[in-house]
Amino acid sequence: MNLEDIIQETKTYYCLECGKCSSLCPISRYDPQYSPRVMVENALLGLEDEIVYNKKLFSCLTCYTCQLKCPSDVDYPLFIQKARVLATAAGQHGDYAHSGTLQSIAMLMARSPLKQNRLEWLKKDGYRTSEKSDVMLFIGCSPYFEPVFEDIPMRTLNIAEASLKVLNSLGIEPLVHPDERCCGHDALWMGDVETFKKLAEHNATVIKESGVKKVIFFCPECYRTFKLDYPNYVKLDCEVMHISELLAQRLETEGLRFNEVKRKVTYQDPCRLGRHLGIYDAPRKVLQAIPGIELVEMEHNREESICCGTSCFTNCDSYSKQIRVERLLEAKATGAETLITSCPKCQTHFRCAMVNKGEEKGPDIEIELMDLVNLVATSLGG
Amino acid sequence: MNGQNGHKSVLVIGGGIAGIQASLDLANMGFKVYLVEKSPSIGGRMAQLDKTFPTNDCAMCILAPRMIEANSHSNIDLYTYSEVEDVSGEVSDFKVKIKRNSPFVDWSKCTGCGLCEEGCPVILPKEFDQGLGKRKAIFIPFPQAVPKKYTVDKREERPCKAACMDACPAHTNVLGYIKLIAEGEFQEAYKLIRDTNPLPASVGRVCYAPCEEACNRGQIDEPMAIRDLKRFAADQVNIEELEVPTVTKTDKKVAIVGSGPAGLAAANDLALKGHDVTIFEALPESGGMLRVGIPEYRLPKEILRKEIGYIQKLGVEIRTGVQVGKDIALEEIRGNYDALFIAAGAHGGMRLRMEGEELPGVIEGIRFLRAVNLGEKVEVGKKTAVIGGGNTAVDCARTAKRLGAEEVKIVYRRSRSEMPASAEETAAVEEEGIPIEFLTTPTRFFPGNGKLARMECVKMKLGEPDASGRPRPIPIEGSEFTTSVDTVIAALGQAPETEFVKEFGVSLSKRGMIEIDPETGATNIEGVFAGGDVVTGPAFVIDAIAAGKRAAHSIDRHLKGEPIEVKEEGKEPEKLSEEEVEDRKKRFPSQKRVRLRDEPIGERIKDFREVSLGYTVEEAIEEASRCLAGQIEGCIECHECAKRCEANAIAYTMQDEHIEIDVGAIILATGLDLYDVSPLTEYGYGKIKNVVTAIEFERLTAASGPTFGELKRPSDGKIPHAIAFIQCVGSRDFKHKAYCSSVCCMHATKEAILAYEHHPGTKSTIFYMDLRAVGKRFQEYVTRAKEEYNVTYIRSRPGRVAVNPENQNPIVWYEDTTTTETKNMEVDLVVLCQAMTPRGSKELAEMLGIELNEYGFVEVPDKLSHPVDSTRPGIFACGYVHSPRDIPDSVTQGSGAAARAAEVIAGGS
Ligand SMILES: Cc1cc2nc3c(=O)[nH]c(=O)nc-3n(C[C@H](O)[C@H](O)[C@H](O)COP(=O)(O)OP(=O)(O)OC[C@H]3O[C@@H](n4cnc5c(N)ncnc54)[C@H](O)[C@@H]3O)c2cc1C
Ligand code: SF4
Ligand code: SF4
Ligand code: SF4
Ligand code: SF4
Repeated sequence: MNLEDIIQETKTYYCLECGKCSSLCPISRYDPQYSPRVMVENALLGLEDEIVYNKKLFSCLTCYTCQLKCPSDVDYPLFIQKARVLATAAGQHGDYAHSGTLQSIAMLMARSPLKQNRLEWLKKDGYRTSEKSDVMLFIGCSPYFEPVFEDIPMRTLNIAEASLKVLNSLGIEPLVHPDERCCGHDALWMGDVETFKKLAEHNATVIKESGVKKVIFFCPECYRTFKLDYPNYVKLDCEVMHISELLAQRLETEGLRFNEVKRKVTYQDPCRLGRHLGIYDAPRKVLQAIPGIELVEMEHNREESICCGTSCFTNCDSYSKQIRVERLLEAKATGAETLITSCPKCQTHFRCAMVNKGEEKGPDIEIELMDLVNLVATSLGG
Repeated sequence: MNGQNGHKSVLVIGGGIAGIQASLDLANMGFKVYLVEKSPSIGGRMAQLDKTFPTNDCAMCILAPRMIEANSHSNIDLYTYSEVEDVSGEVSDFKVKIKRNSPFVDWSKCTGCGLCEEGCPVILPKEFDQGLGKRKAIFIPFPQAVPKKYTVDKREERPCKAACMDACPAHTNVLGYIKLIAEGEFQEAYKLIRDTNPLPASVGRVCYAPCEEACNRGQIDEPMAIRDLKRFAADQVNIEELEVPTVTKTDKKVAIVGSGPAGLAAANDLALKGHDVTIFEALPESGGMLRVGIPEYRLPKEILRKEIGYIQKLGVEIRTGVQVGKDIALEEIRGNYDALFIAAGAHGGMRLRMEGEELPGVIEGIRFLRAVNLGEKVEVGKKTAVIGGGNTAVDCARTAKRLGAEEVKIVYRRSRSEMPASAEETAAVEEEGIPIEFLTTPTRFFPGNGKLARMECVKMKLGEPDASGRPRPIPIEGSEFTTSVDTVIAALGQAPETEFVKEFGVSLSKRGMIEIDPETGATNIEGVFAGGDVVTGPAFVIDAIAAGKRAAHSIDRHLKGEPIEVKEEGKEPEKLSEEEVEDRKKRFPSQKRVRLRDEPIGERIKDFREVSLGYTVEEAIEEASRCLAGQIEGCIECHECAKRCEANAIAYTMQDEHIEIDVGAIILATGLDLYDVSPLTEYGYGKIKNVVTAIEFERLTAASGPTFGELKRPSDGKIPHAIAFIQCVGSRDFKHKAYCSSVCCMHATKEAILAYEHHPGTKSTIFYMDLRAVGKRFQEYVTRAKEEYNVTYIRSRPGRVAVNPENQNPIVWYEDTTTTETKNMEVDLVVLCQAMTPRGSKELAEMLGIELNEYGFVEVPDKLSHPVDSTRPGIFACGYVHSPRDIPDSVTQGSGAAARAAEVIAGGS
């Protein structure tokens, strides 16, 4: 695929060079050097090197804010995804955060003969899983993230545990597979299609062999990847679903018995769940069904919600930090005690911003963070 | 219309500038034109514009003469407020059905004076001002409307029978004032009440509210708190600061005997008619029973004083302390005045007629109340008994309690269900610790130490009904008993004192009441009228007011030398049928009446403070919103307009009219609609107050607009000195309308120039995509805007409008496409140049059998040779419904379409 093909596929040629994308882009608002419009204009002018060797190519959060409002319907995030493939081929990559640990983990997982011990966490409690289940709970990279982000402190397995607990209390004993791998989301969006393909193929095989009919996700990135990207590469004969959708569905059909949790909360729409997949209502319905929960919206919510500021653990710079601070301030301005999200990565990035306050003391951005499933698990438990 | 003529006539649909042009051209060629316009006036969008580009001509100045010409042209039949219902046939022989919506006003009578509009209680957003201004349910779209005729915006059937209004003796526009309260228009509500009742604050406190008993909501859950809402409205206005209307004086003089509600009401109405009114009042204070009968804790004197004060401001003179018949003879008054109204009330007490009655300590109720109300020193003993079961008895008992009597009781000879006092009053008296001894009556009073000491009573039982229809109380033999008592207040009733009129020859009934013609108030003597308690015996304030008003109407006619005709009165209050009740219950969820709060009992009996606290604003609005009439949109059929229309033009029973015509050709000119920008959430329209659309901006600059041509921003009325215009909002956008709306680049330029002309120095920034200045002198216009009017053009499409919470200034985020920097600009006002869409073309295309393009514009297959021909022979299009275009182009096309229609009719193709 060359630049011309990318332009065709993402309808970039429609661009009117109006700059609406830039004025909406959370990065452009802080980084005067980043302009999606210019990126597109360069493509249309055939200035491939200006794109491929532009470090800012890896800044885009692929948050879909621009695309949603682009008058010419240019699929800029997709354009970025594809352009990064060209850049990768030219030996370029973004600035990896955490010394590239997370990227390495994904690449390691892409190697087929790999003995993983990813189910340790399952042993300690009385969780009910079943090898013969129709339903699988996809755990993804959580067991790997757990030690990496221990110090922020971000416990990704906590979310996995809560998800399992929630499924159990819905009467579902899911399969938790000992040999699933990273979904490949970050690899795909960073232009590393090779790694992505290997991961996708592996996961597809594992799922097929297990014979499940439905896969449940608590991570919106895994979910988006399975739902929108896998079909372009592998054959997957099962239904995929985010856990918030499952809960909303149950609410509607059978109703759920929640215990009261007295708390004023606000909700961060993860880009993948929200703008990528258009799921805004399901998590809100679940929140509002819990007695005692008062949901207050941030100034920017739903389609207009602001990205958590980092994607794929790449180009996590001062601008990224500013976005996270801005968003946390918005959350605090609602007067909520807790910021709920349904993406483990959003939570990680927010926690990171709260810990690494830098030398100067910035504004107070402390707020309790929690995943939707953790809240639901508390409210369903006991 | 026969087929022959049909061939020579043309139907033009849409009376905007394009349709007007086409109609006039055809009419001037000698063809018959039927111009059908949906709204009540022709003029279209152009009428809404302040000026037009690129000449900055006043839009209305150019348009108005054309509108008038179209209306008066002998070859044009103008059907406004009408729609085409059906079209059949072929070119040269179309059959067209037109529906003329009923305006509920007989346009052949309506003079466009606007009297009706003033009283209408229904306030709606004014379409002509894009909802920024308000109009009434009876309205003309704008002052220069053609035809200049009023229309009633009636949308639904009123779900109740407005029984309240019929039940009210004064026929107060109850549903009207309740609607106004629900809308938060308290001052207007007061004014509307005052039109039928000059004492709203007093009546709002003391009325027996027969309206509430009749209220149809009562059939569903609980009746409306009509009286309490009246009091609320009155309490919201400062009566002393109310404007006093100027009236042209007549040279007639009217004398009124008595300053009670009947006298005051008559005085009020007569003064408003320009007559000179003098009231003679025997007591030292004016107000009649309102002043000397009703205790302070129910009606504070200060409130009454203010209401009377306003009537005095109208020019009414009140001479207190003048007792007619004693201080001045009726004869004398009659000689000096052109008419006389006797409203002396019923102030005589009734005697007990029993032993010991003359003892000190036994008082007549009405005297007792009068003395207390006039501030005389009145003493009550420790043990006080009040005899009687009416409202006066209750008032006496509660007053005695407040004067310090330790034990007060009411002694009444029948049982609770026969008590004439209202249930509300009875409850209040018992709450205050005053027991009622039923089936008991005094028989004798015994002295001790030269004054009253004991009272003998007898127990009663109920027998057969007597003349009053109530069971007759019969003493039970041997049941006599005696109790000690210090004060007895005998509240047995009142009677008019009419000696002074008898001598004058006014005929009286056997019971001493003045006899009148109940419909006119006239007595047997010409020029002498009477009303109120003096005629009816003790009744109620609102009845007296109604009588005063009725008499005033007759007196006015008498003074003008016109025959005294009976004023049209309301009908009997109607009930909802059972089916209607069921239906209403389904439609309107049950909602409890909002109760008034009272002063705590323990506190209130200590003095004469007002017991009832009145509604808060929230409570009043909540209660007012229960009114069934207010549940519908548009006209609530309160008939206020009909009451005011001097031309008698209001016609509530008018029906829609369906007519059929034959025409040879049809021209479609339905113009444009404005695209709803709310899905473009990024611009904050509807959320950020100082973000408006361009058409709203036009209204804000237009002299006929909601701000009378003063350019002020919505949030705080401040003058905007920095304005940002955002172009292509919804236009040239794949997610909305992909086409260019064609006129917004230029109208934004015009509006920026206008802003500068309103406030020189204003800085406007126009965010544009490509500047479409393609017409004659358009580019020069833009150049002038830059050079002379401080307009800056920035090539960028902003992505977001935020708001500065401190000053409500919008903040426009945009990328400076020359430097690639994303910036923001704080301004005072943002104007969105929204996309425009073809209007109503979908439904019409189906009816006409023509094709539209993907956006709904009329499809024109042969753009080069037949640029105004639709896909169907004989049907043409012009103006914005044809394709996006400005006024000059619409006019050109109007002429083009007229020429083509003429050609076809003449036998061409
Ligand atoms: C904010 C703004 C500013 C503008 N400024 C300018 C300017 O300065 N100069 C300029 O040249 N142009 C300007 N325009 C454009 C101008 O308003 C249009 O070009 C012009 O009004 C088009 O005329 P028309 O007769 O086609 O349509 P309209 O003016 O829209 O008139 C159509 C008429 O048809 C009636 N109608 C609709 N449907 C039916 C139906 N089914 N049956 C019967 N009647 C129907 C409507 O009620 C209306 O009265 C501006 C537009 C906007 C929005
Ligand atoms: S918003 Fe769309 S059309 Fe405008 S510059 Fe960006 S990509 Fe191009
Ligand atoms: S996808 Fe998000 S981060 Fe990327 S350019 Fe668009 S708005 Fe900016
Ligand atoms: S009947 Fe009443 S509500 Fe209707 S138009 Fe007339 S005044 Fe207005
Ligand atoms: S006229 Fe100008 S503002 Fe309007 S849609 Fe066309 S380019 Fe945009």
